[in-house]
Amino acid sequence: MFDRMTLRVLANHARAAAENMAYTLNRTAHSAFVKETEDFTVMLMNRKGETFAVPMDLGATWYPGLTYGRVIGMIDDYRPGDVAFTNDPYSGFVATHVPDTHLWKPIFHNGEIVAWAGGHIHNTDMGGAVPASLSRALTEIHQEGIRFPPMKLVNEGVFDEKILRIMSTNVRKPDLNVGDIRALVGALNTGERKALAILRKFGKEAFLAGVEALLDHAEEQARAMLRAMPDGCWEFADYADEDSTAANPCRLKLRLTIAGDTAVLDFTGSDPQLASALNVPSGGDPRHTMLLVGIYYILYTLNPKILLNTGLTRPFTCIAPEGSVLNPSFPAAVGMRSLTCARLRSVIFGGFSRAVPHLLPAAPAGNNCIVNVMTTDERTHRTVIAAVNPVVGGGGGMPHRDGTNGSGADAAYLRNTPIEITETETPIEFLKYGLARDSGGAGRWRGGLATEMAFRVFAPDSRVTVRNRDRSFFRPWGVLGGLAGGLSDMIVNPGTPGMRRLGNIDTTVLQPGDVLEIRSAGGGGRGDPREREPWRVARDVAGAYISAEVAGRDYGVVIEDGLIDETATAARRAAMRAHEGHFHFGAEREGFEAQWTADAYDLLTAILAGLPIHWRFFAKTEIFRRMEGRAGAAGVTAALAEVRARFPEMPAPELPDAEGGR
Amino acid sequence: MGGEEATDWKIGVDIGGTFIDFCALETRAGRVATLKVLTTPANPGAELMTGLALLAEREGLAAETVTRFVHGTTVGINTILQRKGAALALFTNAGFEDVIELARLRMPDVYSLFCSRPDQLVGRDMIFGIPGRMRADGREETAPDRSAVAEAVAAAKTKGAVGIIVSFLHAWRNDEHERAVKREIASLAPELFTFTSAEVWPVIREYERTTTAILNGYVHPRVSVYLAALEERLAAHGVGAKALMTKSNGGLMNAAEGKRNCVSMLLSGTASGVIGTAWLARRAGENRVLTLDVGGTSSDFALIIDGEAQFGTGESIGEFPLYIPSVSVSSIGLGGGSIASVDASGVLRVGPESAGSSPGPACYGLGGEQATLTDAMVVTGWLGHSDMAYGQLAIDREPARAAVSRLAEALRRPLAETAQAIIDIAVSELFVEVEKLASRAGVDPSEFTLLPFGGGGPMLGVFLARELGMARVLVPPRPGVVSALGGLVADLRGDFIRTVFGDLSADLLPAMHEASAAMAAEARAWLAAHGHRGAADLRFSADMRYGGQSHEIETALASVWLEDDDVTAIARAFHGTHLKLFDFCDESSRIELVNLRLAAIGAGPTLDFPDEEEVAAPAEPERYVPVSVSGAERPVALYRRDSLRPGCHFRGPAVVAQEDTTTAIPPGMAARVDRHGNLHLESAE
Repeated sequence: MFDRMTLRVLANHARAAAENMAYTLNRTAHSAFVKETEDFTVMLMNRKGETFAVPMDLGATWYPGLTYGRVIGMIDDYRPGDVAFTNDPYSGFVATHVPDTHLWKPIFHNGEIVAWAGGHIHNTDMGGAVPASLSRALTEIHQEGIRFPPMKLVNEGVFDEKILRIMSTNVRKPDLNVGDIRALVGALNTGERKALAILRKFGKEAFLAGVEALLDHAEEQARAMLRAMPDGCWEFADYADEDSTAANPCRLKLRLTIAGDTAVLDFTGSDPQLASALNVPSGGDPRHTMLLVGIYYILYTLNPKILLNTGLTRPFTCIAPEGSVLNPSFPAAVGMRSLTCARLRSVIFGGFSRAVPHLLPAAPAGNNCIVNVMTTDERTHRTVIAAVNPVVGGGGGMPHRDGTNGSGADAAYLRNTPIEITETETPIEFLKYGLARDSGGAGRWRGGLATEMAFRVFAPDSRVTVRNRDRSFFRPWGVLGGLAGGLSDMIVNPGTPGMRRLGNIDTTVLQPGDVLEIRSAGGGGRGDPREREPWRVARDVAGAYISAEVAGRDYGVVIEDGLIDETATAARRAAMRAHEGHFHFGAEREGFEAQWTADAYDLLTAILAGLPIHWRFFAKTEIFRRMEGRAGAAGVTAALAEVRARFPEMPAPELPDAEGGR
Repeated sequence: MGGEEATDWKIGVDIGGTFIDFCALETRAGRVATLKVLTTPANPGAELMTGLALLAEREGLAAETVTRFVHGTTVGINTILQRKGAALALFTNAGFEDVIELARLRMPDVYSLFCSRPDQLVGRDMIFGIPGRMRADGREETAPDRSAVAEAVAAAKTKGAVGIIVSFLHAWRNDEHERAVKREIASLAPELFTFTSAEVWPVIREYERTTTAILNGYVHPRVSVYLAALEERLAAHGVGAKALMTKSNGGLMNAAEGKRNCVSMLLSGTASGVIGTAWLARRAGENRVLTLDVGGTSSDFALIIDGEAQFGTGESIGEFPLYIPSVSVSSIGLGGGSIASVDASGVLRVGPESAGSSPGPACYGLGGEQATLTDAMVVTGWLGHSDMAYGQLAIDREPARAAVSRLAEALRRPLAETAQAIIDIAVSELFVEVEKLASRAGVDPSEFTLLPFGGGGPMLGVFLARELGMARVLVPPRPGVVSALGGLVADLRGDFIRTVFGDLSADLLPAMHEASAAMAAEARAWLAAHGHRGAADLRFSADMRYGGQSHEIETALASVWLEDDDVTAIARAFHGTHLKLFDFCDESSRIELVNLRLAAIGAGPTLDFPDEEEVAAPAEPERYVPVSVSGAERPVALYRRDSLRPGCHFRGPAVVAQEDTTTAIPPGMAARVDRHGNLHLESAE
């Protein structure tokens, strides 16, 4: 038993070790992905491969609860100086898409493994069908690049050059991959050195006990937070705009049950695995880190003193049935799981918003678009490929302040690039980079505004890809009377006769002089907009965050020549009707759900779950196609009958008993 | 000595949070005088006169004998922290009004759904988009719309702006748009002051350049009023020397420059501290030093490598980044006033809450009831055997014991153990920050000497050094006035920058020549304007990166490489710097040269501080005091710093008390005083 009084000393030393690993990797990595975007993680793990320390300064936010146990066990006979690795999403479910390459190293003390150092880097490219290895349109993992099952990369300090050669032969930017992997190995060596220094400081037994105490402490903190929440069961669903090239929505559904100091997150009723790269490979692990990222955010937001490690995942159990979008079967493509994960986080935020509405914000914009341009430099005639600013939306209205504008909440890790640098290096010219007026959901606390970016190209056949586009149809929701945020959009040549709206499409080709405008969604509002102080509304109008029109329509604040007309405001507010209900989703989702009621979608997912996995997505698409003019569960039943008539080869779905709790 | 020669006083004065510190040297007799006076926030500058009067009274320092007066002020930084700066308008390109709010997007607290950016110093309604566009290559696409400027000036005036910041895209390449708009403003509203982004710091990257110009304008009125009053007061007091101001770059400038170039003094306090420690370390023969300054609410660290302070950009001022060259200092919100608490599972923490200086730690007896780090030091017995801060604070043990007892009860542990745990945890918090700093810089702290200063540094220094595996600690003679000393010994230093931005090749040479010649001319004029007569020390450097990277690293350039068009030598230097910082270089890769920089340095006077022959002798403790050491209370020798003569030595455990600080020396350390009065502590294990 470790002395609790001084646990903080161990926690600090462990964190210092993790920060050291992160700075070492960030300092010595080669690619912009690792150095600038900070798409990497490092951690120290106990003997079972459970994370007990992560950095707070650098890196991605997704893996503090990751456990390497499964992949560790897939290799035997570890020796000092060994480093193992994998990037295969289907070998142990540690890597979650092919570019993410995970490494782990045993830390030996007197011939015995006392801990593990681990981490991942996002490789710029791992080969496969498209540059960067990521496209929503891909349908099987084999198209997403070369995969390495768990194997040793370094044997007793010596790199297996054969493996590096195989990788280099198959990827588009081999120098970056190899440089980054070597940098990560350096970081693991740092972690090993630092962990052994901690062990020497505390003694082996105290170190081993202390590491467990850190996990136990995080668990206690998480349990205490759950205990402080009411017991109960809440359902919530949210949709990604498009599930594939078939372009039907993809529903993620959560049934959240809080009982005492535990919580169950049941994702049954979410879409089946998709014929696109949006699947999230969790392997059905009840505490898979990708399913719990939303939980990390909630716990840390409500208690910033919480230790981020695997211990905090213990009170949570996730149910993600096999063959669903959150637990796809091999060989489903998984490259763009980040889009689905953004939606998954908003589902978890929504579920907890039902449980503890007073503590949590409205939905963040939840679409973190990564924009890349491939064009030709007219001076050199060379092809230029450049990452342009990410287009990210605002946070949701908080319990105590407005949502952060133009990023925030679960997108705060992204960085932009100076306009002046991009314009000097890349032949494009920006017309706008800023916040989109009226894009934040109205509320007592306004949702954070969307980002709006427009640029012009000069060369023919300039190709733009905008990864993670979503929320062009389903808005970020408002809560407690607050309204939903604005939709994302992508338009070619806005405001001209040749204007083209691109809907949810994520790639486009531009011709000389074309302007592309990309707008993110905005954050949802929180609380009744009529309770927002008129001076705040007036300030938003003066600052062009909202228009005078929206001030009148959504807030009931009448502003004439920059001044509040108090009488007219009082009258307008008295006449306004409050939005009823916990959430506000906006007309688009309300329209969709008039046809696709909760019952209808539940029936659909139940039908699909009753089919063999390889039939599910096909059946979903065919049923959707036949819902024209139909609605509700009865509509689904009729559509299903039509599908079965058209495809007699389709097996009869096995439906669970009809009562099903409803 | 002396007598026939006139006395000659040189003074460094630094204003901190609670005290104004004086460090004065009379050069003929080699006499040093130091002093701390409480600040008068309501009337900044008044305490300075109080201090000069006290120095006259105690040390016979006559105003007319002052030949050098160096001053560091917090007026600028306080203006930002308290948000009491000028009402400003920002004129920028239409379509890019939100550049300062979006900043670089990423926020510090990435795991929190409540993460946010600070409210800007210029409100969104005071930002005016002006149609007009300069291209990246410096060619004009559209001239700024004059009628839009006129409308914006009228609106800004109506809304109460007293100054305007003008920042346009690509002004780093061609600032004609900024200058045209500035002229327009001057003709329409001559009563408004205007700064353009290119005149403040003409570097590529619109957010960084704009925010720097805004900080400059925001503090400009207060700083210039303060400096004008200072000059008047000094003149009225009979001080003949012209005031020099300390800068964030560790150098000095005159007051006239300070009134315009206000942004360059914002971090002067911490910078002077590092300059002071670097000077002390060089004199003591140490060239790799980690400095530690522990205050009431925060602690600062800096690395000194090869005897020199390290520079960086992107240091923080309150909630804002600062992009001009500044001495690199890392900070953590943990200090003597940090509060200890116990959570529901019996885990003890220290901070982040702080009792600050009011009410302060319980032992100050000013109403503080919660146990702080300082209280734990008092309970263990390391602190509290003499008054602190030049007799301006008396330590009361009882409230400290009562406060720590409450935690001990909650933990069901003995009092002394609880106090020791508070110290251990605080030290581990500092440990995290130093480890981060060291891994960022790619250095091993165990190869460094720790130099603690400030009121609290020597209290924790040895404990932290032990944790970091550092064998040596150097405690300067007067740790409380190191920043004032830093100003006193500093050089004139002006920084200049030009963005060139192109692939490093012969094609870039004309642009590099033009930029370096322009900067050199500016630098010489700057030194001349500061009355510098000696040789101009011009140090060129270049910010470079490999193609595809987005951050540059600064590489020192020999001016002969520029004169001889030696692109190869410049490339070689960059590869070498990259290898040193990042452990690899890529000689086949394209190199981009982004900025050329020039630091113009005018060396200050050589100051001979007194020293004294070392005479080896065991030191005599004044008395023995009870201190809890490794869980057991035992009598520990207490030494008066004044009585420790050069050459004397002793061993830990020991307490060294002096009027500005207390040094805690745990067992296992050997102590020795050198000829300059520094206390060298070395692990004897």
